[in-house]
Amino acid sequence: MKALALAIVVLVGGLLISATVDFPDWGDPASPAALHVSPRYIEKSMEETSVPNIVTSVLADYRGFDTMFETTVVFTAGVACFLLLRRREPRPGPSRVYRHRASGVIVEMSQAPDTEPAPEVFKRIDDDWTPHDLIVMNVCRLLIPFIQLFGLYVIAHGHHSPGGGFQGGVILGASVILLALSWDLRTASLRMKEVATGLMSAIGVFIYAGVGALALAMGGNFLDYAALAPILRVDPVAARSLGIFFVEVGVGLAVMATMVLIYKNLASEGRLDQGL
Amino acid sequence: MSEQYPALVVIGPLLCALLVSVAGWLRPRLCLPLALLGLGIAASSSTGLLAQVLTHGPVTYRLGGWAPPWGIVYHVDNLNAVVAALVSWVALTNLVASYRAVMTDYPEKIGPFYTLYVLSVTGMLGMVVTGDAFNLYVLLEITSLTGYALIGLGGGRAPLASLNYLFLGTIGASFYLLGVGYLYIVTGSLNMADLAKLLTPLHGSLALLAAFAITLVGLWMKMAFFPLHAWLPNAYGFAPSPAASLLAPLMTKVMVYVMIRVMISVFTVEFILSEVALSHFVVWLAVAAMVAGGLLALGQRDLKRMLAYIVVAEVGYMVGGAWLGNKLAMTGAILHIINDAVMTFCVFLAAGCIYQKTRGTAFEDLQGLFKKMPWTMTALAAGALAMIGVPPFCGFFSKWYLIRGGLEAGHWGFVGALLFSSLVNVVLFFRIFEIAFFEPMSHGHGGHDGHGEQGGPVALAEAPLSMLLPLMAAALGLIALGLATGPLVEKIILPIIPAGLG
Repeated sequence: MKALALAIVVLVGGLLISATVDFPDWGDPASPAALHVSPRYIEKSMEETSVPNIVTSVLADYRGFDTMFETTVVFTAGVACFLLLRRREPRPGPSRVYRHRASGVIVEMSQAPDTEPAPEVFKRIDDDWTPHDLIVMNVCRLLIPFIQLFGLYVIAHGHHSPGGGFQGGVILGASVILLALSWDLRTASLRMKEVATGLMSAIGVFIYAGVGALALAMGGNFLDYAALAPILRVDPVAARSLGIFFVEVGVGLAVMATMVLIYKNLASEGRLDQGL
Repeated sequence: MSEQYPALVVIGPLLCALLVSVAGWLRPRLCLPLALLGLGIAASSSTGLLAQVLTHGPVTYRLGGWAPPWGIVYHVDNLNAVVAALVSWVALTNLVASYRAVMTDYPEKIGPFYTLYVLSVTGMLGMVVTGDAFNLYVLLEITSLTGYALIGLGGGRAPLASLNYLFLGTIGASFYLLGVGYLYIVTGSLNMADLAKLLTPLHGSLALLAAFAITLVGLWMKMAFFPLHAWLPNAYGFAPSPAASLLAPLMTKVMVYVMIRVMISVFTVEFILSEVALSHFVVWLAVAAMVAGGLLALGQRDLKRMLAYIVVAEVGYMVGGAWLGNKLAMTGAILHIINDAVMTFCVFLAAGCIYQKTRGTAFEDLQGLFKKMPWTMTALAAGALAMIGVPPFCGFFSKWYLIRGGLEAGHWGFVGALLFSSLVNVVLFFRIFEIAFFEPMSHGHGGHDGHGEQGGPVALAEAPLSMLLPLMAAALGLIALGLATGPLVEKIILPIIPAGLG
């Protein structure tokens, strides 16, 4: 069986590699890919969409419909993780350990309490709890706001420099995950509740599709941002640029929230009580 | 509004799926109405689209207002209009039929469940109406991802079956993407109509042949064409009933549609018949699919798993018909997409009704069911007769076209396998009816109940009306489709059969 599998892999690989002899040369300026659709993107992007970064104009405008569904794919992954992993019943375990925040006294409860004590008074300590690492915690606490600021910049500046909703959203999501790693999952959950992540991931995609539907309601085709010009009180080309900005914000929101949602569910086996 | 139908078919359910997700967090009671709204929009606009296409000819819709090949377009002709209408109506009927099962089985997760359900249908509809090869891949991702999650929700070995499906499905989708990548390198375009034009001068190039082969194998993997079917029986057998009766009828059929679309609208039949000398080989694979699917189904002791193997055999019918290389067989293959979707839906929904009452679909659970659930079993019988190919039911007519196509091509193996597979279906379903009709109900342990003595009156334990009515609609649909074969073929299918076929 293994030999057969190897033979198939070699055969298919051989076919795919031998087929590349018909490909144009690497970087050939006369290749079909460089001559057919690309020239319009390169020459007209600024004129038609007023976006200097061609990657952004292709991604969010010329082929913006694909990108909307790519965002939906990210959202779907989050919902799928939630559907399969999330469990409401508490983790089976003999005891739970809490630290009284004011006095530092550590309390062990032999049975899991029916209601969690208030987190401001008692801090729950994970099963595999390690003592506080003051340096890591404080360095991360200092860094996180700047990481988030950078994430916002990447989203907003996608028109002019490499970046956009996906990259910025990942940076924002990573900042929350960093908080969960350096402090603990519960602290991150207090800052960004589960409901908030769920809602934001749906609303992010909704912003994208909603901008498209608004264009449709205004008499244009779906995602034809130029139709938004009367509402935005700008000319149609500027409306395209602004439309791209709105959908990028939606993408950023959806990606950030979905990353956090997936991380929380994976790290805590769907229980969201304690994580890595 | 009517010029926006192509967009509404897809974005109606998409927007509603997002609202369902929001409602799942805030007001779970609103999830079902919103899901119904989304699929209702899809069903009504796809029906309107079909009427529009039939009266005014193919429709092209520019997304974002960009002209092809720079932007993405939806190109809708008879073929995708009818498949879109089929997908949306079957999905809507199944949504109504399965709400009771979802409420009882997943009360805490109805929000995410319905979100994924509606997104899955969105993905299928998007694949069907699109005229862009890469856009199709993106929607394929959505359908696959939602499918993995919905299947993995089932009990027992469902998560493992879903993981297997995920591995193979991902390989299949990557193959398709790789094929599209090859096409882009040699043409610089992703628009299907544009690709068809640009590919004509490239006939004979090895890169084109490789692109075709790899695309095709990717699609075969997604549709579970023998011998790439290994993921399907477990995935559909272990899936929760509401997901099984959505995915089993639609997913494979949509992939067969995509294969036919890629064959006739991207690579064109001239290329396939003259450049790819594989027709014979593929038809023999289809023969193997029919025979193996039937034989493996015979070995099953569970209704749902047996039906899953029948799906494997049915995929063989359609792929074989599409590759026989004549108009009759292609007509049969397209007609069978429609018919098979409805009959598979009917039998899987009946299995779902049985599961709802007996909590199992193993053969032992079926004993005495004709007395307990007469309506469900009548519908199952209707579906079975359609699958066997008994005349008033629709299955007969598509098989008739396929057999005539096989005879015209002189491919006796295909004709023989089709007849063999129909006979196997007779055995499979009459075995079920024998168990359900003649074998008495098991009496539980130690005969502690005074009811249901042999020969005594048996209490009716029918599935709830919300399941029965959609099931009846599906069963009647089988006869209606059968009677409508004439206009269906004349008005819808014949105009889109490419002239290049013999």
